[in-house]
Amino acid sequence: MAHTLVEKRIDWTGILFAVALTIVIVFPLLVVGTWAFTNVWRYPSVIPQEFGLKFWQQTLARADVWSSITMSLSLATMVTLLSAIICLPAAYAFARMDFPGRSILFFSFLAGHAFPKFGLLVAIAGIFLQLNLIGTFWGVVLIQLVGTLLFMIWIPVAAFQAVDRRMEEAARDVGAGPFRVFWSITLPQAGPTIAAAVLLSFVGTFYETEGAWLIGAPQIRTLPVLMISFINNQPVIQYGAVLSVLLWVPSFIALLFARRVISSGSFAKGFGG
Amino acid sequence: MSLSATSDIVGTKTRRGLTGLLLVAIPVFLVVWMIIWPIISAIGRTIWLPNDGGTGRSFSLETYKFFFTDQYSLNNLSVTLWTTGICALLLVLICLPIALYLRFAKGRLAAYVQGLAIFPMFVPSIILSYAIIRVLGPNGTVDLLLNSVGLPHIRSPYLTPWGPVIGLVWDNIPLTVLILLSGLGNVSNQSIEAARDVGAGRLAVLWHIILPRISNSILVAVSFTVLGIFSAFTLPYVLGPAAPEMMGPFMQRTFRDLNDPTNAITQAVIAFCFCIVFGLFYVRSVAKNRNP
Repeated sequence: MAHTLVEKRIDWTGILFAVALTIVIVFPLLVVGTWAFTNVWRYPSVIPQEFGLKFWQQTLARADVWSSITMSLSLATMVTLLSAIICLPAAYAFARMDFPGRSILFFSFLAGHAFPKFGLLVAIAGIFLQLNLIGTFWGVVLIQLVGTLLFMIWIPVAAFQAVDRRMEEAARDVGAGPFRVFWSITLPQAGPTIAAAVLLSFVGTFYETEGAWLIGAPQIRTLPVLMISFINNQPVIQYGAVLSVLLWVPSFIALLFARRVISSGSFAKGFGG
Repeated sequence: MSLSATSDIVGTKTRRGLTGLLLVAIPVFLVVWMIIWPIISAIGRTIWLPNDGGTGRSFSLETYKFFFTDQYSLNNLSVTLWTTGICALLLVLICLPIALYLRFAKGRLAAYVQGLAIFPMFVPSIILSYAIIRVLGPNGTVDLLLNSVGLPHIRSPYLTPWGPVIGLVWDNIPLTVLILLSGLGNVSNQSIEAARDVGAGRLAVLWHIILPRISNSILVAVSFTVLGIFSAFTLPYVLGPAAPEMMGPFMQRTFRDLNDPTNAITQAVIAFCFCIVFGLFYVRSVAKNRNP
C-alpha cells in the first residue's frame, strides 16, 4: 500500500467522483441560488439578464412568508423545549439508574422506526381526528415531539455514559451534593453532545413537513408547507428561490456544528451501519 | 440488626427504581400513545367496521377488499413498489463505488468527495424538489444549456415517475454511503492484501473478500431506504405525476381531500405489511449496535 503513495499516481477515480458529485449535488443548488439573486432571466439566455435583490424585497414584504417563519420558529422552539424537558431527565435515568424494564423501555423508542413514516402519521392522524387535534398548533407539536424522542434520548444517554464516573466520585468524596456534582462535573462534560442533540432536534423539527402538512394544514402553515404551495401555485420563480435560501439557513447552521459528529463512525452506527 | 440493614438497602433500591421509572414515564407514555396505540387502533378500526345500521361494529375486510380490487389503488401500489425497488437498486449501485473509494483513498480529494456525498443531508427535501424542477423541469437549466449548443430539449422527468426517483436517490445518498462505509470499516486491510498476494484481481477481491463481509450493511442500507421511500411524501407529491401517485400522497389525499380516514388508514396498514420485514430487520440491526 505504501509504495502507491510514493509513486503519487493521479487519483482518476477520485477526480471522476468529485466532478460527478459536484455536477449532481452542487450544481442544482447553485442554480437555485442564482435564481434568488436574479431580477430578469428570460428563456433562451444561459445567464440571467439582470442580477439584483428586487425579489428579496418582494418576498420579504409578503405577509404569508412572515407568518410562516414565525409559525415555524415557534413550533420548533416549543417542540425542542418540551422534548428537552421530558427527554433529558429520562436520558439521565437510562444512563445512570437501574429500574425494571430498563432495556425494553430504552429500545421502545425504536418502535417508530420500524414502520414507514407517513403510514404511521396517517394512523396517528386517525386518532387525532377523534380528539379534534387536526388543524391545531398542539396537534402539530405532539406529532413533531414524537419525531424527536429517539435522538433526544439516545444521544444524551451516550453523553451521560461517557462522563468520567471517577471525577463524580471524587467530587462527592470532597463533600459535593448530588446537584452540585451534576451541575459542575456531569453537565460540562455531557454538555456539548447534548447541545448537538438539541440543535439536531430543532433543525429536524424546523424542516418537518409531512406531519405539519397532514395534521396542520391549512390552519398551521410552516415555512416548508408554504414552500410546497409556492412550488405548486406560484408562477413567479424567484419567490420560491428566495424562500429556498431563507429556508436553508437553519440547515447551514447545523452543517457548521454537526459536520464533525456526522463524519465520525458512531453516527452511522446509530443508523444501524 | 443485619436484617434491618438489608431491608434498608432493598428499600433504597426500589425507591431509586421508582424514580427512574418516573423520569422515563412521559417519553415512554408518548411512544405508547402515539406509536403503538395508533398502529393497534389502525388495524382494529379497519377490520372492525361500523355496521350499516349505525349501531356497533363487526368484523369485515371490506376496505382491504376494496383496495385490492380497485384498479386505481393497485396502480398506486405498483408505482410505489417500482419506485422503491428502482431507488434501492440505484442507491446501492451509486453508493457502493463511492463508499469503496472512500474506504481506501486518503487525502484532500477523498475528503472533498466525502463532504459532497454527505452534503445532501443538509439540504431539506423541499429545497431539493425546487432545485430539481429548476434544473430538469421544462425550460430548466439543462434545457437552456442544450438549447445554447443547438440540441433539442430533454424529456423532462418532472411530473413523471422518474422525478421522485431522482429526488429520492439524491436525498438518500448520504445515509447509504455512511452505512456502507461503516460496514467497510469491518473489512481489514490484511485480508485484502492477503488475497492480493495470492494473485486475486480487483474484481475477485470485491466479490470474494469485500462483498461477503459487508452484505449485512448492504441489507441495512436497503431496509432503511425501503422504509423511507415506500411512504415518502414530499418528493413524490411535488415531483411525481398526479396519477398514478405513490402511497404517501395517496394516503394524504384520501385522508384530507377525500375526507375518508378509514380507507386512508387501510392504505397505511397495507404499507406497514409491505415494510414489516425491512422494519424489523432495520430495528434489530440498530439495536444490536447499541447497549442500553
